[in-house]
Amino acid sequence: MKHFLQLMVLLLLFGPMIYSQDFKFGKVSKKELTQTHYSKDSTADALVLYRNVHVSYTYIRDRGFQVNTKVHERVKIYTKKGFEYGTISESLYRNDSNEEDVVGIKAFTYNWVGEEIEKSKLKGSDVFSEETSKYWSKKKFTMPNLKEGCVIEYTYNISSPFSHSLDKIDLQYDIPIAKQEIKVNIPEYFVFKSQVKGYLFVELEHDVASAKINFSSFNRPGGTWGQQNSINNGNLDYKINISTLEILDTPALKEEPFVNNMDNYRSAIVYELQYVKFPNSIMKDYTSSWEKVVKTIYESEGFGYQLDSKRYFKDDLPTILQGKSSNIEKMSAVFQFVQNRMHWNGIYGYTIDEGVKKAYDLKTGNIADINLMLVSMLRAAGLKADPVLISTRSHGVPLFPTMRGFNYVAAVVNLNGENVFLDATNKFSKPNMLPSMTINWAGRIVKEGSGSAPVSLIPPYVSQEVVMLSAELSPEGELQGKVRRTRKDYKAYSYRNNYANMEEESYLEEMEESYGGLEISDYSIKNKYTIGRPVKENFGFLKQDVVDIIGDKMYLSPLFWFTISENPFQLENRDYPIDYTYPWQYKYNIVLKIPEGYEVESVPEKMNIAMEGKVGTFLFNVVAVGSQSIQITSDLKMNHAVIPSINYQGLKEFYKTVIEKQAEKVVLSKISSNGDSKSAAGSR
Amino acid sequence: MALLLTQAQDTNYQSIVLDEDLTKNANAVVRLDEMKVDILSQENMLITSKRIVTVLNKHGNKHVQAFAGYDNSRRVKSVRATVYDRLGKAIKKIKEKDFRDVSAVSGGTLYSDSRVKYLEYTPTQYPYTIVFEKVVQTKNTAFIPDWYFLDSFLVSVENSSFTVNFPNGTLKPSIKEKNIQGYKIEKEETATSITYKGDNIEAIKSEELSPSFGKLAPRLILRLDNFYYEGYTGKASNWNQLGSWMYNNLLSGRDQLSNQVKQEIIDLVKGVDGNLVKAKIVYEYVQERTRYISVQVGIGGIQPITALDVDRVKYGDCKGLSNYTQALLKAAGVESYYTHVEAGADKVDFEYDFATLAQGNHAILAIPYEEGFKWIDCTSQVHPFGFIGDFTDGRKVFVIKPDGGEVVTTESYLEKDNSQKIEARIELGSEGGIKASANIETRGIQYDNRFQIQDFNKDEVLEKYQGSLSFINNLSLDAYTFKNNKEEVVFTESVTISAQNYATASGNRLLFVPNAFNRNTFVPKRHRVRKLPFEIQRGFYDEDSYSIYLPEGFAIEAMPESKKINSEFGEYSLSISQKEDGQLNYQRTFFLKSGEYPKEKYDSYRSFRKEIAKYENAKVVLLRS
Repeated sequence: MKHFLQLMVLLLLFGPMIYSQDFKFGKVSKKELTQTHYSKDSTADALVLYRNVHVSYTYIRDRGFQVNTKVHERVKIYTKKGFEYGTISESLYRNDSNEEDVVGIKAFTYNWVGEEIEKSKLKGSDVFSEETSKYWSKKKFTMPNLKEGCVIEYTYNISSPFSHSLDKIDLQYDIPIAKQEIKVNIPEYFVFKSQVKGYLFVELEHDVASAKINFSSFNRPGGTWGQQNSINNGNLDYKINISTLEILDTPALKEEPFVNNMDNYRSAIVYELQYVKFPNSIMKDYTSSWEKVVKTIYESEGFGYQLDSKRYFKDDLPTILQGKSSNIEKMSAVFQFVQNRMHWNGIYGYTIDEGVKKAYDLKTGNIADINLMLVSMLRAAGLKADPVLISTRSHGVPLFPTMRGFNYVAAVVNLNGENVFLDATNKFSKPNMLPSMTINWAGRIVKEGSGSAPVSLIPPYVSQEVVMLSAELSPEGELQGKVRRTRKDYKAYSYRNNYANMEEESYLEEMEESYGGLEISDYSIKNKYTIGRPVKENFGFLKQDVVDIIGDKMYLSPLFWFTISENPFQLENRDYPIDYTYPWQYKYNIVLKIPEGYEVESVPEKMNIAMEGKVGTFLFNVVAVGSQSIQITSDLKMNHAVIPSINYQGLKEFYKTVIEKQAEKVVLSKISSNGDSKSAAGSR
Repeated sequence: MALLLTQAQDTNYQSIVLDEDLTKNANAVVRLDEMKVDILSQENMLITSKRIVTVLNKHGNKHVQAFAGYDNSRRVKSVRATVYDRLGKAIKKIKEKDFRDVSAVSGGTLYSDSRVKYLEYTPTQYPYTIVFEKVVQTKNTAFIPDWYFLDSFLVSVENSSFTVNFPNGTLKPSIKEKNIQGYKIEKEETATSITYKGDNIEAIKSEELSPSFGKLAPRLILRLDNFYYEGYTGKASNWNQLGSWMYNNLLSGRDQLSNQVKQEIIDLVKGVDGNLVKAKIVYEYVQERTRYISVQVGIGGIQPITALDVDRVKYGDCKGLSNYTQALLKAAGVESYYTHVEAGADKVDFEYDFATLAQGNHAILAIPYEEGFKWIDCTSQVHPFGFIGDFTDGRKVFVIKPDGGEVVTTESYLEKDNSQKIEARIELGSEGGIKASANIETRGIQYDNRFQIQDFNKDEVLEKYQGSLSFINNLSLDAYTFKNNKEEVVFTESVTISAQNYATASGNRLLFVPNAFNRNTFVPKRHRVRKLPFEIQRGFYDEDSYSIYLPEGFAIEAMPESKKINSEFGEYSLSISQKEDGQLNYQRTFFLKSGEYPKEKYDSYRSFRKEIAKYENAKVVLLRS
């Protein structure tokens, strides 16, 4: 609401000025060409001066309704880096019989040369098509004669025979948009649900108009939608639902660290088909509520049907379940069997690729092939198992009941009233530990008999990494000792996915380098592949120059190379939530023996702090034990996986405190011959 | 031919038992790598190949290399593949129609009409073995593929076999052997064929600072003296002849310009004296008006699109922009030569004594100047005239002149050419805060590494300093100005930074590192057994001079002693002294030589860098008085 008011004020203040610009194609002004930067965002490499997207349906004889998207954009390019916005690319879909196309491309570059406008036209031969896969191609072109300060303008039509689907319309680019007008005309026969997502807080305006299809010049188009009773004098009257949106000064979408997926925050209008109803034919329902979405998905051949098919594993199941009596044993046995047998082919989707039966034989399939097979085997084993629909992190968050909002399916088993999530497509996942790419807010359980319920995917438990280090410091500043590191849950998962396949020598060399030239010896690892057990590493080490020896004192960082030295949050403000994927904890316990002839002069003070609401906690404690050793504990914990941007300042401050604390030094001083410290520190 | 292929069929596809020498450091073992090139005529070459690869883990999948590129003059006659499990049982057969067939457009290219058929296969177990066979026919005998006995790092080869058949002496290729000494590689030759065979070639693992794979790989380079390329026949057995063929057939006549553009250039250089001054004007004209966009159509490979085409759209790839600039230079009365180079930060030379068209991946221009050349890269909109940076510096390149070609070394930027001088005034606060202004002056490759920040916006500039001064936490950039002296190729940054808690408090003491702007703590990683030589391709020279103002009420308790380190790799010096007014004077120099060193010296180089790293972090201790 606040944004809306601001917009109103802007409109009142600058309205007349803004509207004095002419956005008719080709009417590029001197003012636009000579402008050197965008006053509202001086960092912008380019600015969309004007953008108009008009989506409409046209009726074509023998083919039915086509979707036509007319795009018109005028872009000011300020810098050489802005040249990348001079290349335009549209992705086009096709299936066996139909394809999308881009037609009617008109494009010009305008430069201001010696008090005159110089106009360069894009030639048809400079437009290229590229086939990227069986179903996708790209049409692209790059503008001629780009110079810093130029304005480019282009218009084209995307024609699509796929009248049942409307592409998402982005409302935000990586560069600002000064003015944009969106208009979507949809015949009454197609009913879509639309929603504006992102952080722009704008709303579509709706209107209705009437239109007419003229059949008088040819025979009735029967077949496309059955009987045509409503034709009068060769005309069919129908209504068009019009949605419009006009936005001024859309800011650029800027990248921030620890963001789940920037596209989740990009403002856009998203469409989902609800139903199609042609005159005198039965309404075909597509979606409208979660229940219906789930029902539609469940009833599709690529989903529910796959759950019913059970013959293909019936010979193997008794062997798998042999000797397993409890439900938890049965679940683990089936899960491990599918996880070991099946190999993910890299293709996503909640509907099958090969089909469960074929996939079972081939031992490879997409996500749905593997996890629907898992659900069906779990059910056959007598467990209460259901599929859970998910949208992966890179796919974004589903906003409203939608089929396209999902791209993934995992399994969930109800064990004594508790949900246990399973995913057999990753070799290193385990019960209640879904692959990290699927941890994206909430999923939706599809219950047997097609009811559904939302379920949080964020793991409630904290994944730990614990380091125990015991070492001895030499008078020359060399540290020698032993490390035992334990990684649990997602920390183990992430180790296994990233390093388990690496040759040990290379892994150690990489670790030595990342720890600033440590020398590792006697390395051993336990549970490297034993999913469900923590990964435990043991090694001896030697590191030179870990302390500063200045005069007769030694200064050392108590966490040595485990010190966090850089604040990941440098930006002053932040708009989007901080997403760590899962709650985590880093715990260090260090026992340090100090060199003979030295004593502990000072250690950092103890610290025990928590962010508001215990979102993050930090405990730091250094104590001298006896005269020859120091015990150091550092425990940094983030109890929440997702932290709202409103807590950003708190988090930033928290990190700053942690970093400063960890940087504090332990001071050792040489004991003089008479047993006193030689330092003058105490003698004021 | 029949013999080779039958032999292959006897190969055992099982992968339960593999030679340990071959699995060591390997993600895949190439069981058989066999290629047969039949030169049927000057315009017809048939390439038949078969690869059997056992993939040991997921990193090995890329070594399967089951793909075949094609275009208008190269045809894929057949491709097929079979997958075997570890027992050697066939589990999947892939026919030609099951290969994916897509445009071969790589990242930086807008369009290319080349296409590729490739195999997409999800392994269901490791190890597994794939047999991949392809037959490709091409007219372009100018490009006989090089033969690599090893594909890349981390893959070994059990049997490698390369044969070239030719009808007669005229069509007998010349072959240059590279790095094959020390390997078990045998050569057999008859009147109409040459065969090389190698077996049990162990995998090589890349090591820190080791030469790139291409410089270590055992391989063969081939050339047909009487060749054909995209409609042109040629005869060349040395760089001179190849240059004149290239000029006369692929370049000549592509430098037409409209009279209007010619006149524009003539007017631009009117009254200007000296070829270099004129060339600079033309170069800047091109930089302002064009940009790099790669479009590869038709003959694209090594022939530039015409100057007229580039002038129309104002963009082009390296070939198009070089040719266009050459045409403009010609209009200005300045001679220049189109030049092929292997570009990249890793310096790769053209084979001085073995001319082939396939060498190189980039085009630049050579402008005759005094006894040598000035080099310009026309794909850059920002580099100063005559400065090519680390993309094409110091390497042998192929200069194409109307009367023949020659191999010449481009300008080198070595050691003291790559300098950085920092003068700074640093104030330390009593709470440990820092406020500092510095003047950073860079030249040579260090210039190349930094000057582009002049085009950054303020967020990016801040990010850049936060990155390069990452040891200063919560750094804020209070002011900055940049000066880019393109004439002298010197970049000057004047910056003011500040941060809290730069110095660490410890009781009554403050500890800080006087080196606030240039800590070079890089130490190359340890290799348990160093096997490869190492190289420092360029070297540098850094000078730092800081005046440090201490907070009121503090006295120096301790500070690092002066230090000089001399080694065969370079020199380092550090000195700190206190002036009468209490101000500290910090002086530092670091000179790293360029050079190639045997593996035995690696430890000693590490020690050199380790010792320097230690002094880079040396601290001063202040005591509250």
